[in-house]
Amino acid sequence: MPVRTPHFPDLLFGSAARLRRWEDALMGLLQSHGYRELHPSLVLREAVPEGALRFFDGDDLVALRWDFTVALAGLLTRGFPEPPPRVAYAGAVFRRPVQPWEAVERFEVGCERIQPEGEASAEADVELARLLMAIPGCLGLKSAILHLGNAALVRRPLEAEGLFGALSDAVVAALSRRAPHRVREALDGHPSAARLAAHAEALLSELDGPGTLDALESSPYAGLLEAEREHMDRALQALLPILPPNLELRVDLADVAGLGFYTGPTLRLWAPGAQQELAAGGRYDRLFPDLGRPWQAAGFCVRLSRLLDLADTRPDLFEEPR
Amino acid sequence: MTLQTLLIAFPKGRLGDELVPKLAGTPLALDAQALKSRVLRIPTATPGVAALLLKGADLPRYVAAGVASLGIVGSDTLDELDMDLLELADLGFGACRLSLCAQAGITLDALRAKPHLRLATKFPKATEAWLTREGLTAELVPLSSSAELAPLLGLADAIVDLVQTGGTLKAHGLVETAVLGRSSARLVAARGAYLSEPGRIRPLADLLMATLR
Repeated sequence: MPVRTPHFPDLLFGSAARLRRWEDALMGLLQSHGYRELHPSLVLREAVPEGALRFFDGDDLVALRWDFTVALAGLLTRGFPEPPPRVAYAGAVFRRPVQPWEAVERFEVGCERIQPEGEASAEADVELARLLMAIPGCLGLKSAILHLGNAALVRRPLEAEGLFGALSDAVVAALSRRAPHRVREALDGHPSAARLAAHAEALLSELDGPGTLDALESSPYAGLLEAEREHMDRALQALLPILPPNLELRVDLADVAGLGFYTGPTLRLWAPGAQQELAAGGRYDRLFPDLGRPWQAAGFCVRLSRLLDLADTRPDLFEEPR
Repeated sequence: MTLQTLLIAFPKGRLGDELVPKLAGTPLALDAQALKSRVLRIPTATPGVAALLLKGADLPRYVAAGVASLGIVGSDTLDELDMDLLELADLGFGACRLSLCAQAGITLDALRAKPHLRLATKFPKATEAWLTREGLTAELVPLSSSAELAPLLGLADAIVDLVQTGGTLKAHGLVETAVLGRSSARLVAARGAYLSEPGRIRPLADLLMATLR
């Protein structure tokens, strides 16, 4: 018998009711904005990815759905010659946790905005950010913080310097740890070490409101990243006037979580005192082209399991349900 | 929102012995009476901020889980555990080397030539990474303390361990034959606490950096 058993959460009455209430509220919000529900199979048809929860069906190794985005992408590319512009989903995903105490089964609600190749994406990015801004109110979160980032702020300088593979991964891991000294260690002896270290310092120097974008001026790649900066600036100008009360907007230049997947703007939702982000998303324009479709995509998912845990441990962060 | 006491995880042992005097007289000085007791949660000179005294090997887990918002731990421990936490600064103190150590007279080439090399260590991850870089294979003997005895008593051909002054090695007739890496104290933060409450955590982190660097 295994000593360590994976953590599959069972929900008792209060949590089960809360999960259904939140799922209904979030899917209602998404549907009211034109997002139509898709429900991909629980069992993956594609090759079993690393991190998926695997099991045997007779002699066949199969895996449970480990992420909605990949499962939806398969369903969409098989089922549609042209992309449906707005899709939503709700349900469970199953994946091996990073920390041993995290659950294997997690409940999520999310959405995806898909566009034909070449269509301007700025409007779609702002649309997703506006939707995410409405979510704390839907869930009864008294206060929340929305982090705006952009994966290209790290991706483009690394690509411009010809950094790929293990060295690129080491720099990204160091940035994810917010450890500029580790960036310098990883790049020791590399011709672009001084430039990339200075860029890392600029990205890590602030974690605050719109003024954070000024930190990019001290980066050696400020010119290269002019378009990304303008994109973030425009997004902030569109979002700040409609910021709901009790929602704070922060610019997080060093957001590299999921950098292998995200290609542009990123969104993360936090609550004060939360140990983990409560929703996450961004632009991932390489997903559909890799599957043979010239479509662009961005989306986010709300991590209901983490919200349920937070509601149990910090009920003071939530309004009483009406 | 309820403002809970902020906890900072401090290491016990060698690193803690260096750390505690550095905090004396600062807003994060540890309560002297509590330090003399067996209590592991110690008030600091700042109300609402307390210290947890933890073994280095456990400390990153407390921070990664968000129990403690900040912590100080050796980079050797961080590299071995690879937990999901932020590493805000290299504090510089507690500097030591992670070294391959063998009995005097045994060279690195002699160890390389062994058909079946056995290394005793409590740093298997760093040792495996070094072996891969060097193109070597070895059997690792996991030990959690007193590794210096292993080569003397025939449990292993050599050890991979932290060396600060070299005094313990010398006392056991061992010498460093290769340096695998360097370690020093690092300021770490819980990802959630730092990113969701930077206004609360960052001033404390800045204070620790200003005091300890």
